[in-house]
Amino acid sequence: MIYRVRHTTRYAYGSTVDLAAHMLHLRPRDLPYQRVVSAAISTLPEASRRQDRLDHFGNAVTWLFIDAPHDAFEVTAEAEVEVGYPAPPPAEATLPWERVAALARAGGPGAWQAAEFRFDSPMCPGVPAAGAYAAESFPAGRPVLAGLLELNHRIRADFRFRAGVTDLHTPVAEILRRREGVCQDFTNLMISGLRSIGLPARYMSGYIRTRPPPGQPRRRGADQSHAWVGAWLGPEDGWVELDPTNDVLVRDEHVVLGWGRDYGDISPVRGVMLGGGDHGLEIGVDLEPVGEDAAAGG
Amino acid sequence: MTDSAPLDEMVDGAGGFRPHWGGLLGALSSLGRGELAERAGLLDQHFIEEGATSLLPGGANIPAWRCDPVPLILPPGEFDALAAGLAQRADLLEAVLQDVYGPQHLLAEGLLPPALVYANPAFLRSCREAAGHRRGPLLHLYSADLLRAPDGQWRVLSDRTAGATGLAHVLENRRALSRYVPELVRARELRRHGPFFDIWQDSLQRLAPPAADGRNPGVAMLTAGHSSPHWYEHVVLSRRLSCALVEGGDLTVRDGALYLKTLRGLQPVDVLLRRVDGRQMDPLEGDQSPGHGVAGLLDAVRSGTVRIVNDPGAGFAEAPALAAFLPALAQRLLGEPLRLAGARTLWLGDPAARAIVGADLDRWMVRRAVDGTVRSITAAALPDAARAELAQRILAAPEEYAVSARMPASVAPCSGPRGLEPRPVILRLFLVHDGRGWQALQGGLARAFPAPDPGTGARPAMGFSKDVWVPFEDMAEVQGPQQLSIPSLPIRRGTGDLPSRVADNFFWLGRYLERLESAARLLRASAARLATTSPSPRELAELKSLAACLVRAGLLDAETAREIGTIPVTRALLRAVRERGRIQSLLNQVARLAGLLRDRLTGEMHLALNRGLRQLAEEFDAVPLGRDEAHGLEALGHASAGVLGFAATVAGLAAENMVRGGGRLFLDLGRRVERAQAIVAELTRALEQPGAASQPAKLEPGLRLALELRDSVITYRSRYLTVLQAAPVLDLVLADEGNPRGLAFQLAAARDMLVDLEGKPGSPLEQMAESLIEEAGAMVRQVAEAPSQAEAAVRLRPRLVAMEDAVATLSDGITRRWFALLPASHSLGPAPAIWLRGAA
Repeated sequence: MIYRVRHTTRYAYGSTVDLAAHMLHLRPRDLPYQRVVSAAISTLPEASRRQDRLDHFGNAVTWLFIDAPHDAFEVTAEAEVEVGYPAPPPAEATLPWERVAALARAGGPGAWQAAEFRFDSPMCPGVPAAGAYAAESFPAGRPVLAGLLELNHRIRADFRFRAGVTDLHTPVAEILRRREGVCQDFTNLMISGLRSIGLPARYMSGYIRTRPPPGQPRRRGADQSHAWVGAWLGPEDGWVELDPTNDVLVRDEHVVLGWGRDYGDISPVRGVMLGGGDHGLEIGVDLEPVGEDAAAGG
Repeated sequence: MTDSAPLDEMVDGAGGFRPHWGGLLGALSSLGRGELAERAGLLDQHFIEEGATSLLPGGANIPAWRCDPVPLILPPGEFDALAAGLAQRADLLEAVLQDVYGPQHLLAEGLLPPALVYANPAFLRSCREAAGHRRGPLLHLYSADLLRAPDGQWRVLSDRTAGATGLAHVLENRRALSRYVPELVRARELRRHGPFFDIWQDSLQRLAPPAADGRNPGVAMLTAGHSSPHWYEHVVLSRRLSCALVEGGDLTVRDGALYLKTLRGLQPVDVLLRRVDGRQMDPLEGDQSPGHGVAGLLDAVRSGTVRIVNDPGAGFAEAPALAAFLPALAQRLLGEPLRLAGARTLWLGDPAARAIVGADLDRWMVRRAVDGTVRSITAAALPDAARAELAQRILAAPEEYAVSARMPASVAPCSGPRGLEPRPVILRLFLVHDGRGWQALQGGLARAFPAPDPGTGARPAMGFSKDVWVPFEDMAEVQGPQQLSIPSLPIRRGTGDLPSRVADNFFWLGRYLERLESAARLLRASAARLATTSPSPRELAELKSLAACLVRAGLLDAETAREIGTIPVTRALLRAVRERGRIQSLLNQVARLAGLLRDRLTGEMHLALNRGLRQLAEEFDAVPLGRDEAHGLEALGHASAGVLGFAATVAGLAAENMVRGGGRLFLDLGRRVERAQAIVAELTRALEQPGAASQPAKLEPGLRLALELRDSVITYRSRYLTVLQAAPVLDLVLADEGNPRGLAFQLAAARDMLVDLEGKPGSPLEQMAESLIEEAGAMVRQVAEAPSQAEAAVRLRPRLVAMEDAVATLSDGITRRWFALLPASHSLGPAPAIWLRGAA
């Protein structure tokens, strides 16, 4: 499946900004199952300095510095990406979850990189209640993927999708109490829960297709940046991705920008400005399959 | 091991003295017990007056630094072995850091558990370079705390790799001992500290990436500022290393390079000596808390235009649990065993370690595995409930804990009320990398503690420091920095390199000093008049004008001021002075600014300000509030006169001790502007005499007051005898450029300083000052030429009010021109408003 993605972020400042520095995670990541055909990031005003590198996690990062006075900042990321996730292993054939946790704890060959994602992180701290919620899906000896799929399903069933009632700083315990939120909240909840029982889990940042395939319901979280969970099945089976907002195992409707321990590692646009006052923000995301437009539209 | 007796540094097992204490003991005994205690008191007093703050953990009120007159002596051979052992340890930690911030082979091979790296808050992901990237060393300065175990071996307790603290105290301890116990310092020929600091300064210059234009490398020390508990150290060190002391707000990154914002514009910085948390270096990539960091700094580091030492990520190596892995890592990374053993340490994430510790936690010191800044806990010292709770916490998350074997520290002689007393000591040594290898400071810092609790071995937190002496053996040991081919420095004068923030602080120090002085002048004039039991109509008229001035100066509220001359008003004034009123807040403002400028003031000036402000606060606090107002007024007059004396001392010291450029220019400018404003405001109020327009005699009290507040009574008499007329008085107060207390003098001085600062005449600010001088002259001429001088003087009121506003505008203009180089920064990013829509 080939997608074309266009992601525009526009800040309108209350007063003139003299100097601005931005750090962007807006270029889709090259992966064995995701080929970036083309990718470009453009801004208004143009940056006076631009640096592109890979971060600690291997994600593409772009730094932009603007030293001319400006009243608005607009960044547009466009990319064409071919996605083809491999089929996951049969759930019942995966390792018992306790074994996966033990391997992650030991680290060393095959496990040291995954081990990073089993520790608390600033925005996904350990929350006992989240651990207790997750543990219900992980009785002793259960194959890890079976437990993950059930947890993914339970979150979709137990929680209501509702925008505007939570924000960045809403703690996971509060989400558990409210039983509602948006994709970030469900992702944080699942990550906190998995880490609490010793399983590595990472925060995936990216997009989900805007319009569903013909005859299927529209996915939640389209038109926006999207977030979901990466979970580790052990050295053999590696990572699998689960979208608790839509109760799906990620196959062919998502495009990955990158991953980190939590949103703080991978936020799409982050900046520090001199001046600026209050600011308004507009975000637009469009993810469409290439060559399916006509079919979908008709 | 835990129950063996501590070793004595001075006395050997057989009751004899260890030979290296030889010379000192003689000097100590000829000094005598009483004299030694007295010198110890002098040392304490010295550090209080210096404002030296303690390194030991404390609350908001950091106690003053203390130094024992008796040093700790280490034999040269033993010291050299320690230095060599620590150099190897620093090399090892550097190799570990290179791996963790690079390819992470140690993790892949299982030599380091993931919990020690990924759960370490000082592991900064933004500092990691992808494999294949070459990077410079992460460590430049290293220090370690050591303890001598009962077996005679020194053992490392903890490593300091983020930023070793205590070096300023090493310098100051030696300086203070040389001054207060010269007999002891002279008793032994000591290895010197100087070479270490010369090497350090020299190597900082060498760290600078080569500059294209061959200029001198710019070196700056980044501090969190006055609020940092280590501010005193930063001030002392930046002076010793001759580098600029800067805060985050003084710096800016442009096009991938770091600059210091100065009055002359942006000056490049090539090497940044970091004295703030590595996580706060760049708000774009680390903590978003504003204040300490500079946006884009890490990008500049990655581009190779600036070096930060120690690297922001270097604090990683302070993790206490790392010690458990160092013996194996030394073999793997250096191919040799550790030369200097650490205290036996176990990481409890390892099941084998948990088996060794078992249920017997009492034999160990418990530490956080990855946070070296948390004090260790002596489990044995805890009450039963707390100990059980600690055991529970360890059981729940063993990875988060490490334990070190409990060992009694050796004891060294310290001065005490009963003569020399043995106290446990911990030693801190320092090393700097000169580009080829590690060089140790030939001395160090020892901390002595009250004897530990005999039952539990817990060390109390409070203690005092001791200078560490390494005696000389032969002259060949003398070492200095290698000759460097740094081009000779160009001669510089003037203000250019002064950071804008510092100039701003000087300007306001000048303003507040003047405001304090002018308040004291008003209080003194009021106290003298209020003391008369039945004031004459003339005195009453003067008091009414004075009351208006007191209201303007914030010393009296407008309501109370109407009843001036009555006893309740007198009491209100005394109360306002004594309680936390305006005077106290002015004293506090001066003290605050003097503190902020600690690094820019000479020692003498700092001392004069420090002592003077303390005395004045005490005097005002002591103004009696009893039924006897006369007594209170006398004390008030006395305290006010004290302020005038203080202001004169400070002005004199500034004139004698401060170079005319830079800070002093702004200090003077602040005084002139403040004084000009007060002159105009007070004159306006003095001329407000009801009926004076028609009856010139009614203006006389106002004219007399105007002269008195300007300290110009004697000058007037010498020129005009006792005849009081409006035009001559106004000339002296407003237009005579020769009267140092008059307006024209202030404006002319400000104008000249503005020309100096700009480096050329004709600036808008200079023209503004010039036109104010002309207006002052015009006002006086108008009064002199009028048929009725008194009437013309009363009619000046709107022009005087406009003049007061114009001086305020001049002050704003100065602030905008020189201090507001850049507005403050703030962050965009994972903030609530954005977050709501950031991802769904």
